[in-house]
Amino acid sequence: MNLVLISLILLLGFSSYYFGRKKATIIQSSQRLTALPKFYGYYLAIWCAAPALIIFSLWSVFEPTIVKNFILADYLDQNLTKNELQLIYTKVKALALGTYTGDINNFLDNSAGKYIQIKNMANNAKIVIVLAALILSLSYAYQSIKKNNRMREPVEIFLKWVLFTASLAAVLVTIGIVFSLLFEAIRFFQSVRIFDFIFGTHWYPAKTFVRDGQPDPELMKDAFGAVPLFAGTFFIAFIAMCVAIPVGLLSGIYLAEYATRKVRKYAKPIIEILAGIPTVVYGFFAALTVGPFVKEIGNSLGLEVSSESALAAGAVMGVMIIPFISSLSDDVISAVPQNLRDGSYAMGATKSETIKKVIFPAALPGIVGSILLAVSRAVGETMIVVMASGLAANLTANPLESTSTITAQIVVILIGDQQFGDPKTQAAFALGISLFVVTLFLNVIALTVVKKYREKYE
Amino acid sequence: MTKISAKNVNVFYGSKQALFDVSLDIMDKEVTALIGPSGCGKSTFLRCLNRMNDVIDICKVEGSIKMDELELNSRKLDVVRLRENVGMVFQKPNPFPKTIYENVSYGPTIHGMAQSKSELDQIVEMSLKKAALWEEVKDRLDEIGTGLSGGQQQRLCIARAISVSPEVILMDEPCSALDPIATAQIEELIDDLKKEHTIVIVTHSMSQAARVSQKTGFFHLGKLIEFGDTEKIFKNPDNQQTQDYITGRFG
Repeated sequence: MNLVLISLILLLGFSSYYFGRKKATIIQSSQRLTALPKFYGYYLAIWCAAPALIIFSLWSVFEPTIVKNFILADYLDQNLTKNELQLIYTKVKALALGTYTGDINNFLDNSAGKYIQIKNMANNAKIVIVLAALILSLSYAYQSIKKNNRMREPVEIFLKWVLFTASLAAVLVTIGIVFSLLFEAIRFFQSVRIFDFIFGTHWYPAKTFVRDGQPDPELMKDAFGAVPLFAGTFFIAFIAMCVAIPVGLLSGIYLAEYATRKVRKYAKPIIEILAGIPTVVYGFFAALTVGPFVKEIGNSLGLEVSSESALAAGAVMGVMIIPFISSLSDDVISAVPQNLRDGSYAMGATKSETIKKVIFPAALPGIVGSILLAVSRAVGETMIVVMASGLAANLTANPLESTSTITAQIVVILIGDQQFGDPKTQAAFALGISLFVVTLFLNVIALTVVKKYREKYE
Repeated sequence: MTKISAKNVNVFYGSKQALFDVSLDIMDKEVTALIGPSGCGKSTFLRCLNRMNDVIDICKVEGSIKMDELELNSRKLDVVRLRENVGMVFQKPNPFPKTIYENVSYGPTIHGMAQSKSELDQIVEMSLKKAALWEEVKDRLDEIGTGLSGGQQQRLCIARAISVSPEVILMDEPCSALDPIATAQIEELIDDLKKEHTIVIVTHSMSQAARVSQKTGFFHLGKLIEFGDTEKIFKNPDNQQTQDYITGRFG
């Protein structure tokens, strides 16, 4: 039903475009148009479809809540909790749709009947109101066209609002995510002291198994110390950057400055393919190939290496990040104006001197930006760590031991059975917001650095 | 005395020929102007003189260009040495995004011309003075070169070019991005520089060529139509095309 209604509105909208344009050409024969004929078309189409669609979507958003309130109004005097009310409503809905399988009592049956009734009424009312709105706005727009009012401005203003809505939606979603993280994290910190979380050196969430009621902070003291996770995260990211920065940067410089057009044409896409490999694939590559290889080499040197090591995970993560740095730095180096190169060559500078003294400094803001982007990518990487570096949150600086990261622990916490009120589950939100703060911090630094250098070099 | 002698120079960009059999002699300590309509090959010829065409992959140069008996169009030529000896100033001022001091000290540093910091300071000061920029920037040598005005930037580029004391300075329309006052300053500067350097300048401005140069070459469609004393070219050219161009009838 809804689909038919939307199609109808869109169809009318499209036809009003042609109608409006045609009308404009008719007006043209007697008087000067205020805009190109297509604007008349757009104007009519917008007025035809936009108000109807807006009312339609608002209605669809609010209808379920209103219907629910109507139904549950009958149960309010029974002193039920929120969850019980929700359960009743679900039952009523299932009954009305004919998918309910439990016991049916009179009360439920009545409600289901009422539900169907209200739903039908709402549906009919929706169609009538939406179509009425469509006809009203369409006739208003048609009058306006007939009077040959100014057409260009309303269309442009409408477009501005469409764009504004799109960016508003993105901003609101971001804010929503941040706040949901924040609220759950706050609830977590009601049962676990924030001090214990930030400075605690033991991460062992399985220790806490709380069914109901507020758990005792003393019990939680040694369970949620996030230091090993932060340390592991930065340690693995550090190993990854040790691999990715030199290789990525040097290959970026090669591609931008030395490679012939032919080499570049083939090499760049191949490097970029690295970025297209799913991280899961990197993960089992790290776990099944690199991990045992590192172990074997370590053992042959007489070192003790666990089969899941930070080194294996970090190295593979570094390989994954190479294309980011290489591709981005290639772009920023290529974007350095040719006349700077010419100026340097004309002074008798060699290629490497020119790169070192002129091109690299000029491209530095972009390069720093790409590296910091890569770091936040490394910090947020999950799959490789889960597979290759293990899940035991050891606090260690030995790359041959297994260690774990924030993201990997979020995975550990949230797979399998979870209970929403459990501090173990809420810990995921606390970790999530810590990770978010870290990446935000990195991005802010990146932007400041880039801005500082840009000021210097412009 | 002849400084540079070009014989039968042909230049190709891929399959397209940009210069046809250009032969001309550039005199020592003189200003030679190359004029002609856009795309006539005058900049291409200029870039042959310091091998800047090497930067363009598809460019191929044939013929002989000799500078003091040294064959420039030879694969064995040490391009770094050549460019130390033949400086270049570009159409658009292109100072490096570094300080004024670093811009001028760039050449002497990469060629190892200064043994000490004070020697380098001296070279920088001398070059800036020669480029008539010293008085304007002496108190802010550590400011970024790109922050100067267009005319100052171009004089900074000239200072950069003369910092390595080249025998020849090539100028590719050095004033086309500048206002009349800055242009006048640069022209005055060119007049000074020719005491110590041989200058080849590409220009679109007929009056500039007449003002600053001793010899003028007129290029058209990749050919050198006429070459001779500036006074003769402007007052009494042998060729009808030259006459038409300098009187503004075409181009």
